[in-house]
Amino acid sequence: MGKASRPGPGFLPFGLALILIALSIALLAKSWKAEKESVPFWPERGWVRPLLGVGIFLLYAVLLPSLGFILTTFCFLICWMWGIERIRWATILPISIGVTAVLYLIFSYFLEVPLPGGFLS
Amino acid sequence: MGEFLGMFQGLATGFDIAFTLTNLTFALLGAVLGTMVGILPGLGPSATISLLLPLSFKIGSPVTSIIMMAGIFYGAMYGGSTTSILVNIPGEAASVVTCLDGYQMAKKGRAGPALGIAAIGSFIAGTIGVLGLTFVAPPLAEFALKFGPPEYFSLTLFGLLMATLLGGGSILKGLIMVVMGLLLGSVGLDPISGAIRFTWGLHMLQEGIDFVTLAMGMFGVGEIFYNLEKVLKTELVTRKITHLWPTLKDWADSKWAVIRGSFIGFFIGILPGGGAVISSLVSYAVEKKVSKTPEEFGKGAIQGVAGPESANNAAASASFIPLLTLGIPGNPAIAMIFAALLIQGVQPGPFLITEKPEIFWGVVASMYIGNVMLLILNLPMVGLWVQLLRVPYSILAPIVVLFCCVGVYSIRNTVFDIYVMGIFGVIGYILRKVNLEPGPMILAFVLGPILERAIRQALLISAGSPLIFFTRPISGALMGLLIFFIVLQVLFSIRQKKKKMNP
Repeated sequence: MGKASRPGPGFLPFGLALILIALSIALLAKSWKAEKESVPFWPERGWVRPLLGVGIFLLYAVLLPSLGFILTTFCFLICWMWGIERIRWATILPISIGVTAVLYLIFSYFLEVPLPGGFLS
Repeated sequence: MGEFLGMFQGLATGFDIAFTLTNLTFALLGAVLGTMVGILPGLGPSATISLLLPLSFKIGSPVTSIIMMAGIFYGAMYGGSTTSILVNIPGEAASVVTCLDGYQMAKKGRAGPALGIAAIGSFIAGTIGVLGLTFVAPPLAEFALKFGPPEYFSLTLFGLLMATLLGGGSILKGLIMVVMGLLLGSVGLDPISGAIRFTWGLHMLQEGIDFVTLAMGMFGVGEIFYNLEKVLKTELVTRKITHLWPTLKDWADSKWAVIRGSFIGFFIGILPGGGAVISSLVSYAVEKKVSKTPEEFGKGAIQGVAGPESANNAAASASFIPLLTLGIPGNPAIAMIFAALLIQGVQPGPFLITEKPEIFWGVVASMYIGNVMLLILNLPMVGLWVQLLRVPYSILAPIVVLFCCVGVYSIRNTVFDIYVMGIFGVIGYILRKVNLEPGPMILAFVLGPILERAIRQALLISAGSPLIFFTRPISGALMGLLIFFIVLQVLFSIRQKKKKMNP
């Protein structure tokens, strides 16, 4: 941490930690004093859609290296639009194909990002 | 006199650079993208610029990529009003107050004049803002050459505290976000001694937390997760938009609102910590106060559209001043452009104008051109953009998430970064749920290293005495101003409390 005349690497983090503790206590005290009316953290079943979103996101990251960009992206779009949003299949399919193609074109072709090819390559 | 001559020469070279085909194309691309993300609710300029950060190398030279990113930032200010007026949802945070009167105007069949005055006001204010940037930035940069570590410390502290004071919402929560951002910024190598901090033995963290991953997680993915909770519906109040050109009466009613908005926006935008969002709120309050018919506000007063829409544009241009002259970004969107400059190896600061004049003047000149492009895009072509509102958010959301994933992957070609971004996305979602705005945190993350270097070097100079921040004239003046604002805020909140107790 060092001395005030020769502040070391821990100087700022330590100071910040002290400030953070003080601020947190202040916030706690404030919310303690405030009237307590219990508001549910999520509105009725409000957690379902965000959780699905996080889940599909995670699945994308897990599958990307083995399935490759094209297949994973296509599946991601279908999972999201059908699993969360229940859009009609007649809309989902052309959009999924189109978006996958456009993204592949932009990133792989124009920007030359080495996208994972998966087992196809 | 010589100084003026230098500015005109600089501007002339700037136009030479901005008028090349590549730079014109990217200015147009920025303007189009900016209008687009401005119109689409749930997708703002900060998220969009952060999406482009990993690509900024591939876009081209530093000046080209900054021209484009600047276009996205001020272009979003133009587009945001369209959604506010037609759908009553702000397309972008700085257009929140435009909903109040813009939507009422649209309901009364005056969508055309509302959109028209928003675009014209934005153009006038944007141009006044760039003029200000042209003439204020060079002398300010020269003045900033005198700044040493104590001045930089006071300035960054000033900016961070102003961002929480002006940010609306709870100041206490804002301060907590600032401290968290500063702590996140201290992960990795210590900038002075090279010691390793908070990496938990993960060598992936030695270079610190990557700004792009953090920003895309917090702003891009986090925002989408948050919006999944509710179903965003965009219903247009009207399909037919006629009489875009305001009548003489409309013009007479709103011309002073535009001028006042421009100056309010400029002076708030120039402040470290100020920005487009706050300036539009201030402008609305001022317009309501000076109006002879304040009861008309909220029922479709054209001044309520003209003022704020002008203010946010002037502020967007003005917020380039602290970035390009002091090297200190004042708000989250500008922090993204700051990061883009660093990625390109350009250190923004008082030396930028003299050492890299092509970047400074090229970007400034492109902003004059960009504003003309945006006026054309948003006035005669606004009907085209309205079609964009028919793309449902349910289709847009997964595409944005995909862009974030591929973007973050492309930085180091590793899936590890996608996971990190996902973690920040979940954190960003939870923060929004408990009313903690991620904006000040991102700003603090960027300013953290500047602040740390400044405070440690200053204390080395003064042999440990914190008085150095108060005894040097410029630093002392900043500290004095800061204390003045804090006292003002405390007095204000005491008065508010008293009002609540006995109304």
